[in-house]
Amino acid sequence: MHIAVFGLNHNTAPIEIREKLFISDENLYDVLNSIKTAGISEAVILSTCNRTEIYYCSDNHDKSLDIIFDMLFTYFGIKQDWISNYTYCFQDEDAYKHLFLVASGLDSMVIGEPQILGQVKDAYRTATLQNATGFFLDKTFHKTFNVAKKIRTETRIGYNPISISSMAIELSKNIFGELHKKKILVIGTGEMCEIALKYFKKEGLNEIFIANRTFQHAQKLSEEIIGTPFPFEKMPELLTRVDMVLSSTGSEKPIIDKTLVHSIMKKRKNKPLFFIDIAVPRDVDPEVNNIENVYLYDIDDLKELSQKHLSDRVKESEKAMAIIEEEKVNFTAWLKKLDVKPLITHIIGTVDKTRENEVRKIAHKLKNTDEETLKLIDILTRNIVNKLIHPHISMIKQNEDPVVVDIIKKIFSFEGEDENRMDSGDERE
Amino acid sequence: MNIYLFYIALFFYAISTISYLLCLTVSKKIIGKLGHYFLLTGFFIHLLATFVRYFEAGYTPITNAYESLSFFSLCIACFFLYIKKIYKMEMLGSIFMPVLTIIFIIAFAFPTEIRPLPPLLNSWWLPVHAIFSFIGCAVFLISFFVSVVYLIVENKIKEKRFSPAAARFPSLETLDSVNYQCISYGFIFLTIGIITGSIWASITWGSYWSWDPKETWSLITWIVYAILIHNRLTIGWRGRRTAYMMIIGFFSILISFFGVSFFLGGQHSFI
Repeated sequence: MHIAVFGLNHNTAPIEIREKLFISDENLYDVLNSIKTAGISEAVILSTCNRTEIYYCSDNHDKSLDIIFDMLFTYFGIKQDWISNYTYCFQDEDAYKHLFLVASGLDSMVIGEPQILGQVKDAYRTATLQNATGFFLDKTFHKTFNVAKKIRTETRIGYNPISISSMAIELSKNIFGELHKKKILVIGTGEMCEIALKYFKKEGLNEIFIANRTFQHAQKLSEEIIGTPFPFEKMPELLTRVDMVLSSTGSEKPIIDKTLVHSIMKKRKNKPLFFIDIAVPRDVDPEVNNIENVYLYDIDDLKELSQKHLSDRVKESEKAMAIIEEEKVNFTAWLKKLDVKPLITHIIGTVDKTRENEVRKIAHKLKNTDEETLKLIDILTRNIVNKLIHPHISMIKQNEDPVVVDIIKKIFSFEGEDENRMDSGDERE
Repeated sequence: MNIYLFYIALFFYAISTISYLLCLTVSKKIIGKLGHYFLLTGFFIHLLATFVRYFEAGYTPITNAYESLSFFSLCIACFFLYIKKIYKMEMLGSIFMPVLTIIFIIAFAFPTEIRPLPPLLNSWWLPVHAIFSFIGCAVFLISFFVSVVYLIVENKIKEKRFSPAAARFPSLETLDSVNYQCISYGFIFLTIGIITGSIWASITWGSYWSWDPKETWSLITWIVYAILIHNRLTIGWRGRRTAYMMIIGFFSILISFFGVSFFLGGQHSFI
């Protein structure tokens, strides 16, 4: 049995190709089924915006690849040259090492991002629901989840946020603690604002106020997000009522200056106020940060922090790589134990030796018998022996349960150390 | 008998300290929990020891340096357990536990045997006056450290040096509201301590207030905290300003608590 992966990701293929090969949830069942009926015993398909990968398990690597290519041609109408240009295929060690890397976020565009683990889990769950996985992929994926968890707890790879939005939230939490009782004012309705606001929304904010020069835009965004729209002129009054301000207008000059914030802080009785200014040019005068209990982070501050956190993650990824390397070796050793080929050779070998000995003894006694009879005896015994051991061998081949294999090993007094000798003996024959 | 119980309490405080310090490097929740339970055990044994000493000595054991420091660390443990229950700030354990343990160890540097009570102190006002004053001081000691942490975290956020270490600290708002709790409780205890003290003084010394150094410094401390509370309620002194005031107030307490007893003399110098 070989574990392998075929696929493409953001490093090997441009977005145009990736989106062509994106397998949506609805199609996933069909694709899995078609691969299964075509003869691949185990398969898991992972398809996200950055990658589409098929993990599979088979005896015959080339045949399985052909099946996958056929499926890709029929379902996605891909071109022949895409395969050589944009895809990769790893086998055995490299395949599950790749899966470890993917699941722990080391192969992601933003290194160490945590979502991918959830996506891998979903992909695996979908495959199990379709009965598309078996002993090998089950073990491989469970191992992967363990490795990913180990990396999360033993390294700081996911410790610090990287995206502007999650950093803004992390900072807010450092100032305010839990955010569910807090209020936010959003000035401007740009795309950046909307993305950040969705993150904030997840934290369960108490109230969201949206102010914009074009009131209709504020209304529209409020409906989407469930907030309260306000005309832009209300902004100074709103500042006294909120805890956080997320600003991203297209204004040429700062719309919030030091004098304004000074007067507001008096009215707020110095309750802390956190400005997140993601506009370029800036909406909030940088001097505002010098006022007591006011905190201001502009887009450059956030980007600088992001860079710092990213370099921290890169440092941490070395530790993660060491863990993956170690786990890969462990898993390889474990799989090797499961490899039944030497056992089968051993069984056939010992049984045949006994048979040959017995035939030789009989032939010695039957001195007057002609060649043909002896040949028939040989065939007869061979057939009997083969018939007798066939159920054992097919059981070993079909049932990869290590317990069964262990019992058979004991019956035929097979020891692991013999592996190499048996293998070389096999070749000589 | 009581002294052994004190040693056992110290032992539990010490292992609780070790657990909390370990918490800083190893992020395992179980260690923090252990630290909490060690502290809890230590606290109850300490409380028991104080009662045992009370019965063995026949007076409230807050009369000499050893007893005072021991009782002081008991107050810190008590108030810290209370703060922890409300705000769930395990992390602060790695600051308070070492402080508490060190104070307790210093206590053992002084003579620990039970001595006859000076006749001056033989009064029911002793427990009332001393207990309130000590709890007040313990609360302000906690607020001092909370303020220091506040200033460190605040500076990190202001200077945009937001780092993973800061993420483990409680949020600014939590620290500030702990500080507010500390002023509210501490101020009440301190006030009661001063009032009961002056009533007791009028009974034994014949005058409510005699401007003895300890009385003077207590009054200064009281004024510092009164200003802070007044300004917090009226013009909203929060955050950094509260933290600075708490630090100033604490130094004034240090002078009235230790400075006066050990260096300035006066009527309170028996401690």
